[in-house]
Amino acid sequence: MKKYFALLLTVFFLGCSSGSEKPGPQPVDEGQDRSVMLKSLAERIIVPSYDQFKTKFDDMNAKSKAFTAKPDAQTLAAFRAAWADAYIAWQHVELFDFGPGEKHTIRNFFNIYPTNVAGITANYSDPASNLEVPASYATQGFPALDYLINGLGADDTAILAQYTSDRDAARRLAYVTRIITRMESLLGKVTGEWKGDYMNTFTTKTGLDIGSSTSLMVNGLVLHYERYIRSGKFGIPSGAMANGIPSPDKVEAFYAKNISKNLAQSAHKAYVDFFNGKHAVTGEAGTGLKTYLDALGAKDSSNGKLLSESINAQFTVATGKLDALKSNLYDEVKTNNQAMKDTYNEMQKAVRMLKVDMTSAMSITITYTDNDGD
Amino acid sequence: MRAYLQKYTSAAPLAVFRALFGLMLAISTVRFVALGWVQELYISPRFFFPFYGFEFVKPLGEWTYLLFAICGISALLVAIGWHYRVAAVVLFMSFTYIELMDKTTYLNHYYFVSLLCFLLMFLPAHAAFSVDARRNARLRAGQIPAWCIDALRVLVCMLYAYAGIAKLNSDWLLEALPLRIWLPAKNDVPILGPLFNHVETAYAFSWIGCIYDLSVGFLLWNRRTRPFAYASVVVFHLLTSLLFPIGMFPYVMIVTALIFFPAAFHQKIIDRVSSALKLRREHISPGGRYYFPGLALPMVQGIFVLFFVFQIIFPFRYLLYSDELFWTEEGYRFSWRVMLMEKAGYTQFTVTDATGKRQVVNNNDFLTRLQEKMMSTQPDMILQYAHILRDHYAAHGFTAPQVYVDSYVALNGRTGKPLVAPDLDLAKESESFRHKSWITPFKDEIKGL
Repeated sequence: MKKYFALLLTVFFLGCSSGSEKPGPQPVDEGQDRSVMLKSLAERIIVPSYDQFKTKFDDMNAKSKAFTAKPDAQTLAAFRAAWADAYIAWQHVELFDFGPGEKHTIRNFFNIYPTNVAGITANYSDPASNLEVPASYATQGFPALDYLINGLGADDTAILAQYTSDRDAARRLAYVTRIITRMESLLGKVTGEWKGDYMNTFTTKTGLDIGSSTSLMVNGLVLHYERYIRSGKFGIPSGAMANGIPSPDKVEAFYAKNISKNLAQSAHKAYVDFFNGKHAVTGEAGTGLKTYLDALGAKDSSNGKLLSESINAQFTVATGKLDALKSNLYDEVKTNNQAMKDTYNEMQKAVRMLKVDMTSAMSITITYTDNDGD
Repeated sequence: MRAYLQKYTSAAPLAVFRALFGLMLAISTVRFVALGWVQELYISPRFFFPFYGFEFVKPLGEWTYLLFAICGISALLVAIGWHYRVAAVVLFMSFTYIELMDKTTYLNHYYFVSLLCFLLMFLPAHAAFSVDARRNARLRAGQIPAWCIDALRVLVCMLYAYAGIAKLNSDWLLEALPLRIWLPAKNDVPILGPLFNHVETAYAFSWIGCIYDLSVGFLLWNRRTRPFAYASVVVFHLLTSLLFPIGMFPYVMIVTALIFFPAAFHQKIIDRVSSALKLRREHISPGGRYYFPGLALPMVQGIFVLFFVFQIIFPFRYLLYSDELFWTEEGYRFSWRVMLMEKAGYTQFTVTDATGKRQVVNNNDFLTRLQEKMMSTQPDMILQYAHILRDHYAAHGFTAPQVYVDSYVALNGRTGKPLVAPDLDLAKESESFRHKSWITPFKDEIKGL
C-alpha cells in the first residue's frame, strides 16, 4: 500500500516536472485569456466611449463659450442642449472607475449630486476657492452646471438676468468657464493616459490579485452599479435606502428635471453593453465579461443555466422597470414612488448577482491579508 | 504500552524542532508587525468578533504591539532555549490570545501553531542544544522519552489526515470544486498557467491533494518512504504558496515535517551549527537521560492523553448539527478544513424599532472590509454583528431595535441565496452551541464526510 502511494506521488511529481519542461503544448484557451478580454474592452469600448464623450464635451465647451461671450436666450438654449448631450455621454464613461478614471477620481469632479448651491455661490464669490478638495465635489461638474443654467431663476428671463444685469453676473460667467475648464483638463488627463502608457499596463497586469487590471475593473464596476446606479439614481431619491424618507430633490439633473430618466437609462444601458462586450460605436458583441464568464463555465449547478444569462435576464427586468418610468424622476418620486422603489429592488437583485455570483465565479476577492481559503 | 512509555531516544530531533519552530514564529511575528497588520487588524477596527466563551479576549489598543513583542521575544527565547519553560508558557499564552482576539483572522495553521506551543510547554525540548542546558548541567540530557517526539509526529499526521478526510466529499472529488474556480484565476502564471484552463487539471489536483493529505503523514513516518514524502511536502507546499496567498504556512509545515527524520540527521544539524558558533562539545551532545520530576510525568502523560482524545473527537462535532456543514459552518473551525470552499456573500442590514425608526446600515461604518467579507458568509458572525448593531442603535435613540438582514451567499459555484430569512429579527436570537435554526436550509446535498 505504501509503495503504491510512493509510486503515485512519484508519478505526480514527475508529471509536474515534465510539464514544466515543455511549456504548454496546447493552445491557450482564448475565452479564459484575460489579456485578450482586457484588450478587447479597452480598445473596443473604453477608449471609443471616452472619444464619444470628448466630442460631446467639446461641443458643450464651445456652446458655453458662446454663452459666456454673449448670454442670451439663443446661446443659453444651445448651451443647455449641448450640456444634456454631454451629460448623457458621460453616463457611458462614468462606469470606468478604474485605471486613470479612478486615479484622477474623475467622477468626484464630474457628477456628485445633489449639487451644493451655497458652495457654488461661495465659489463664484471667491475665484481663488479650492476646487480640488472633497468639500468642493458637489460645487462643480454636470450637477453644478445644471443649477447654473437651469436653476438660477423661475424662468429663462430670470436666469439670463443673473448673467447680464445682476451684480454678480460676471462672476457667474467666470465660474461657468472655470468649471468647464477644470473638467476639460481632467478629461484630457484621463483620456491621455488611456491612450498612452496605461493601455499597456491595463492589458498586461493579467492577474486577479489586488491591483491587477481585472480585479480593479470588476471591483470598480460592481461598485458603480451598486452605489452610483442603484443607490444614487433610485435608492436615495426614493427613500428605499436609509430611513425610508423620499428625497425627490436628490434626483440626478434636479433642475433640468426632464432628463433624469434618460440619464439613468443611458447609464444602465452602458453598463449592460459593457458586460456583454458590445462595441461602443458599432454595437457588435465581442469579448468581454460575458464571454469570460461563459468560458469559465459559470452556471447554476441546479439547472445548468449560464450565470451570464441569469445576470442578463435580471438586467432586462431592471431595464423594464426603468423604461416604464416617466421622464421626470422628480415627479415620479413625488407621485409614483413605488415604481421608483420597484426599480431599485430589481437593481438590488442584479447587485447581488454581480457582487456575489460573478465575483465568486471569477475568483475575484477583496483581500489584503493572508487567507488559507477557509 | 509500558515498554513504549519507558523507551528513550535522542533529544536532538526535539531540540532542532524547538529551535527552528521558535525562529519561524519570531520571524512570523516580525513580519506581521512589519506589514502593518497589527494596526490594520487589531487596532483600527471599531469592533471585533471574539469566539463564543472567550468574549473577554480583546485587542489592547496600542498595547497590542506589546503583546506581539512579548510573543516574538518568547518565541526567540524558545528558539535558543533560554528560560525555556517560562518562555514556552508565555509563547503559548500570548500567541493563543492573539488568535482569539478576532475570528475574522482565524486560520487553521494559527490553530496548529497554538497546539504545537501547547505541547511544547510540557516537553523537555531544552534538554539539549539550549542555553538552559549549557548553564545547567543537571538539566542537560542526550536522551528523552520517545513519546515526547512521537506526540508532535502524531499531531502532524492528524493535521494531514483530517485535512484529507475533509476532502472526501462530492464537491471536492466529483465536481473538482472549488479548485475548478480557483485555478483558472491563475492561468497567467508562467509555464503551468495554461494547464489551469482545463477542468481536468482541477480534477487531478483535487484527487492528488486528497490522497496526498490522507497518506503523507504515514509516508513521513515510514523510513523507506520518508525521502519521497518529505520531497512531496516541500513541492506541495511551495506549489500551494505559489497559487494561493497563505503566508508563512508552507514554511511552518516544511520545517515541522523535519521532526520525522531520524536522530542522526538532527544531530548533524546540531553539530554543524555548533561548530559554526564554536559551542563546546559536551553542551551539544550530552549523555544522560531526561527524567520528568516527581508527579510531573503522570500529569503530563495524562494531559497528553486527554489532548489527543479531544483532538480526535473534536473535528467530528459537526455530526451533531443538522443541515450542511459548509453552509452553516457549525463545527467548521478547529477541524483542519482547509481550502474547501469558494464562498462569497453579501449582507445588507436594516435596523428598525416599534416607533417607526428605520436605518439601512452601511457595513463599512462598523467593520473593515475583511471583517465584512468574513461576516457575510458565516452565520455566527452575522449574529454577532447583528448584536453589535442592536446595541449601537439602542444607544442612539432606537427603542428595542430589531435587526434584519438581506443576505445572499454563494457556495462553490451554486447561485447565491439567502443565508438568513429577511424577516427574521436577529436581535432576539442568541449565540449557543446549539444548531442555529434560523439559518435558511441549504436544500442541496454535499455528500461525504
